[in-house]
Amino acid sequence: MSRRIPIGYRFLAPLLALLALLVAYPLGYSLWLSLTNRTITRQEIAFVGLDQYSGLLSNAGYGVAMRNTLIFVVCAVGIELALGLLIALALQRQRWARDVTRAFLLTPMFVTPIAVGLMFRFLLNQQLGAIPQVLDTAGVTIDFFGPTLALATIVAIDVWQWTPFMVLLLLAGLESLPRQPFEAAKVDGASMWMTFRRITLPLLRPVIAIAVVLRALDAFKIFEYVFATTRGGPGTATETIQYQIYRTAFQFFRLGEAAAMGFVLVGVVLTLVVVLHRLLMRQEAAT
Amino acid sequence: MKRPITVMAVLAAVAALGACGGSDEPSGGGGTGTTDPAQVKGAVRVIMEEVPDTDVVKELLPGFRKAYPGVEVKIEALPYDQMRDRIVSSFLAAKPTYDMIIVDNPWMVDFVEGGFLDPLDDRIKAAKDYAFEDFSEPLRKIAQVDGKTYGVPFYNYGLALVYRKDLYEKAGLSAPQTLDDLKAAAAKLTSDGRSGIAMQPQKGYKIFEEWGNYLFAAGGSIQDDEGKVTLDSPEARTALKEYIAIYKASAPKNSLNWAFDEAIRAASSDKAAQLLSYNWTLPTLNKEGELKDSFAVAEVPGGKAVLGAWYWSIPANSATKDAAWSFIEWLTSQAQEKQRVIAGGAPVRDSVLDDPEVWEQGYGEEYYKTVKEILADAAPLAHGRNAEEMINVVGEELNAAVAGQKSVDDAISAAATRAEETLAK
Repeated sequence: MSRRIPIGYRFLAPLLALLALLVAYPLGYSLWLSLTNRTITRQEIAFVGLDQYSGLLSNAGYGVAMRNTLIFVVCAVGIELALGLLIALALQRQRWARDVTRAFLLTPMFVTPIAVGLMFRFLLNQQLGAIPQVLDTAGVTIDFFGPTLALATIVAIDVWQWTPFMVLLLLAGLESLPRQPFEAAKVDGASMWMTFRRITLPLLRPVIAIAVVLRALDAFKIFEYVFATTRGGPGTATETIQYQIYRTAFQFFRLGEAAAMGFVLVGVVLTLVVVLHRLLMRQEAAT
Repeated sequence: MKRPITVMAVLAAVAALGACGGSDEPSGGGGTGTTDPAQVKGAVRVIMEEVPDTDVVKELLPGFRKAYPGVEVKIEALPYDQMRDRIVSSFLAAKPTYDMIIVDNPWMVDFVEGGFLDPLDDRIKAAKDYAFEDFSEPLRKIAQVDGKTYGVPFYNYGLALVYRKDLYEKAGLSAPQTLDDLKAAAAKLTSDGRSGIAMQPQKGYKIFEEWGNYLFAAGGSIQDDEGKVTLDSPEARTALKEYIAIYKASAPKNSLNWAFDEAIRAASSDKAAQLLSYNWTLPTLNKEGELKDSFAVAEVPGGKAVLGAWYWSIPANSATKDAAWSFIEWLTSQAQEKQRVIAGGAPVRDSVLDDPEVWEQGYGEEYYKTVKEILADAAPLAHGRNAEEMINVVGEELNAAVAGQKSVDDAISAAATRAEETLAK
């Protein structure tokens, strides 16, 4: 008697095949690449096992890039969360011109990141930019892409573009909160800060968790702003993982090493996401 | 009964196999094919960079069409990074996107070793009245890998000192011969609204390209004849110290990330008195505006300049090799080279540089004489495997030193070590 595949799986089959082709095959090929020494400009290729991965341990540049990326993610997502929460709270209480304000505030999110990068490159350009000119009239000169400020400038660009994303998620969360706790708190005479700390934040925790995880995942892939402005400089101040992978693979042609870099990044991100999620969800269960 | 999973899996596997690219075996000397203008046919897709020299080539296309009616040339111009990525993708694709490409000198050895370029020796030998030795010698050497030639010089980008001759005259200065002269001239010409020199310390290629001239002026070298890295030297340290000193004293404020665009902008808007840049920027700077004809070129201090050049090459997987070669042969012949240079292209042939007609119809005798001197004693930044990466790692260390993140000693020894490691990869 032939074993029949349950009808459910047969419905899933086309999607699974598509996923296999679009996701599993490239991932698998990437994994295989990371175990070889494949270089675009060499015709020989050899299986080298975990050499590419162990090579990364002694690759100082990789460590610097990872450090820069982590600093960037923590700072950018942190600022976006704080700012986003502030703006969302303000928008929630707004009574007039709500739609126009929201549309206006959300526009940065809809611009292509590379366009945003180029925009800021020229806005902050010492020779041509509007912002240095304005600062000049006040007698202030800031070297936005200098060694001390370059990473901060990249963080600022990210904050400019993606705070609206946080605002969107947090606003949706705020508007879906139940009214009773807030009414009760008002009746009991709680101050605004107390309401915020004891009621809003705990109730909002799952939304914050999702927003932070989503934003952090995206922030790890930071590339466009670096490519458009500093190209990883000055020195290695703004060298990020994604940019380094691009350079290793397409400027230096070393595909095997770039694939290994990519997979280590996947490992780091997965770990962080799981840790973050557990942390935020555990706190919610505790309250 | 149909088994959708099996069918899907088979389809997926077939699609996956089809996506793998094939590679071509490079032939011995390249062969010659037909070059008879009446017989050569084909569409040649060319990729080039968005630079003035590309516009000059586009202007010459109608002339080529008349000479070779069967060949259609389509030129696609892109910025540098995009161009390189597209070229590499075309090499690896099953069906090539381009039939003719331009190759930057650091890529030459890597592309040849990857089997991506066709050797051109047979075609060059078969070309009538071609005079290949007429191309400047340093340029010919760069395109030779393992005794075979893989590219025909297109245009050079040797570095020169581009300076405001009116400001120099007013200050009683003459073209600097040493680094100290340059430092003094830059300091003297620094005033309130104008910097003495616009520099390009951007991390990676740019800073190395500029600093290389300082290194040569200090008597240092990058590689010896066997290709071994000779960067770790007292001359290199002197050169870097001087570079930083001039940057601090006379370069525009906050110009640590400056590259070509910023420096040219500064010079053309009277915000800088001079810069080390490609010799062919002179016509552009002198063309129009308030500073028309105020600039002149001189050899970099010390006389030995950093050399870069672009080459015409035929990919091994090109679909129309004969047609592509017919275009290269026509465009780089002595007659057409002359026209190209008069129209504003950067020269590569000695005969063109010595031609009084070119002097008259082009940019003047002095300019071409200076370019000839520059080309006579110029060297590329790196030659060999992984040249592009080596240039980038050295440039990273140099920029770190200028940014103050590393001491000069640390930067030079790190640059030398990393360069050696990179070339050995």
